[in-house]
Amino acid sequence: MDAVEKANTARQQQWIKDRKVGEGTYAVVYQGREASTKRKIAVKKIKVGQFKDGLDMSAIREVKYLRELKHQNVIELLDVFSSKTNLNLVLEFLDSDLEMIIKDRSLVFLPADIKSWMAMTFRGLEFCHRNWILHRDLKPNNLLIASDGQLKLADFGLARDFADPGYKMTCQVITRWYRPPELLFGCRYYGTAVDIWSVGCIFAELMLRIPYLPGESDMDQLKTIFRALGTPTEDDWPGHTKLPDYVPVGQFPKPPMRDLFTAATADTLNLLSKCLIYEPRKRISALEALSHPYFFALPYPTHPSKLPKCSTVVNKPLDEVDANVDMNSSGPGVKATSKGLKRKLTSPTEAKARSIARRLDFSKAPPSSP
Amino acid sequence: MSTGLVASSENTESKDPQQRQPLYEASTQFRNWRFSSEGLAQIREKLNEAAVAAIRNTFEVDQPGSSANVAFLHANEEVTLVKLYLTKIPQLCAMFRFPEEVEATAISYLKRFYLKNTVMDWHPKNVMLTALFLATKTTNNPISLETYTAHIPKTAPSDVLDLEFLVAQSLNFEFTVWHAHRALWGIWLDLQSLPDVDQNLSPSIHDTALNHIRASRLTDAELIYTPSQIALAAFTLAAPDLALKWAQSKLLPNVTSSQLSLDTISPVLELIKSMILNEGHAPDVEAVREVDRRLRICKNPEKVVGSKAYLAKQAEEERKAEEKRHKKVLEMQKGQSDPFGDEIQGTSLVDYDDDDD
Ligand SMILES: Nc1ncnc2c1ncn2[C@@H]1O[C@H](COP(=O)(O)OP(=O)(O)O)[C@@H](O)[C@H]1O
Repeated sequence: MDAVEKANTARQQQWIKDRKVGEGTYAVVYQGREASTKRKIAVKKIKVGQFKDGLDMSAIREVKYLRELKHQNVIELLDVFSSKTNLNLVLEFLDSDLEMIIKDRSLVFLPADIKSWMAMTFRGLEFCHRNWILHRDLKPNNLLIASDGQLKLADFGLARDFADPGYKMTCQVITRWYRPPELLFGCRYYGTAVDIWSVGCIFAELMLRIPYLPGESDMDQLKTIFRALGTPTEDDWPGHTKLPDYVPVGQFPKPPMRDLFTAATADTLNLLSKCLIYEPRKRISALEALSHPYFFALPYPTHPSKLPKCSTVVNKPLDEVDANVDMNSSGPGVKATSKGLKRKLTSPTEAKARSIARRLDFSKAPPSSP
Repeated sequence: MSTGLVASSENTESKDPQQRQPLYEASTQFRNWRFSSEGLAQIREKLNEAAVAAIRNTFEVDQPGSSANVAFLHANEEVTLVKLYLTKIPQLCAMFRFPEEVEATAISYLKRFYLKNTVMDWHPKNVMLTALFLATKTTNNPISLETYTAHIPKTAPSDVLDLEFLVAQSLNFEFTVWHAHRALWGIWLDLQSLPDVDQNLSPSIHDTALNHIRASRLTDAELIYTPSQIALAAFTLAAPDLALKWAQSKLLPNVTSSQLSLDTISPVLELIKSMILNEGHAPDVEAVREVDRRLRICKNPEKVVGSKAYLAKQAEEERKAEEKRHKKVLEMQKGQSDPFGDEIQGTSLVDYDDDDD
């Protein structure tokens, strides 16, 4: 056997696949373990044989960028190996994603929780941008959550580097609801600001608990944006009417953000609106966002381990779980006997605080509801 | 060697003043693809020896005594053959009008591939074509495989598809390459903003330096030195005075150590310069032809489609796969107990979709 084949087999043997946990557009995902440490991992198996152009671009991008990026808030690629005509990516196992958490109506978000998720998102994104990498597909279900509460940017299948300035790029990226207006107008020269717009939409969604700008088509997306933020003038965004796919979609006044985000602080709205500035060059950068007053004002961000999380693994009644909670311990809080169970809430006092917060709902009315 | 110093000249001047670890030093290239000259020689020697032993054995199994008169290739002959195919990449790139990035990346891939494989197993022609095709994708300049092979004589899509996975695997799926031509661009931009430099620098200086970098791609330089070191050496060859000015401006903030650092860099620069000047050209065609002629006899028969050894190896692999399938069926029938208990919740331990084990 060749040295390369041997090395591959050795790698393959370090990882054990246990069961299928999901299916994506081009991959099957398994839960598994690292043979030596029993550490929980995910194996993303990508079929390669079926493509007439060989290894497909999404797989190549994902491997290329994750191989280089190591950061607490970016999903970790632990290994890559092949089996027959499959490419296997070994990833750290992540229990849930932000979309699941947003949709879980039994969870209550405190402003401090949202601040914590936003801080982790900006940290991960700042690291990507510092490495000259655009993510180009940020949305709640690509922000995965680890069991310790850490948020990780995932799915780099659309990512690319931008070290070459003035290099023409495709505008067909980013899921519609999170896509910035410059891409909807067909702009082919863009930068880090496209990711910031997506983060702005996610920020709003965390407060509203429903998608902020849910357009039904690309054209309707622009309308939805303008209805929420006002149609941009030439002053707001010089030159936008000259963009390749520019079309006038109607004049909408700019409603005060406060009308929708009733409970948000001034700092919160300030950061949100800086993420959603029309002129891409004026939009806040990830680095600037991290030093925005929002992150230094009270309440301080919730510690990741104390963030609300989905209770998907709970398969016994909750009181039974609570019986295992060790109130005096600052550790994981769940006794070893309750292995495999997860608590919904961190502590009884916090539960109370959360139910109060729930009544102070951020959202008055869903945007663009018929 | 002060890699940090020179590496920081990469075109990555960040707006972040408290920039942590230099990006280049966190890269897979820095961690996994840098060697000493001796280290490189050793790797190639070992690969060559192992291949010769294995192929000799295959010959002997086929027909005892048959390997006695075979003139196997030496490690340095392998390098020469690979070098010839390195020179083909710029020609193809010119034909396809691929950007510099594609060309430089493909060249790096081809060199890295032969630090894990030998030409006696895999002839560089198709590996070169595959490395180039893969590079178009990893640098985000994809073209369809059909278009690609249609423009290359006597090449079918399968020639590339068959090897793509092996090439990617040999690269350890580490596709990002840091290039000297980018570092050169960084130096060039830096120079335009130096106070004591004429702002009307002739672009021909940059072009001359770039040609030295292109020559360096035919050498081992990128496997030994950092992109910035190579760029500075190439620039020194093109415009020694300007190169010195640039180096001084980079080192100036710490005047006392600057002399020291310049002194430590220059021996390295000298080594790179002589490498570029002495080895940065195509190999002698006659010599390569001779190597290629011998390769036809000493190549690994197990890799020659249709040969007796190839068929034997295939049969053996098929037998092993069959054995595995059989074992799996038996396990399923036994209803083997499930070590993960209730976590599995109804899903069978054996995944029918999982066709790879
Ligand atoms: N690192 C991971 N840890 C745990 N589960 C994962 C991980 N990555 C993906 N999954 C699961 O596999 C499913 C499909 O993943 P993926 O192929 O990345 O999805 P998509 O194609 O929708 O982006 C996900 O919805 C998720 O349930």
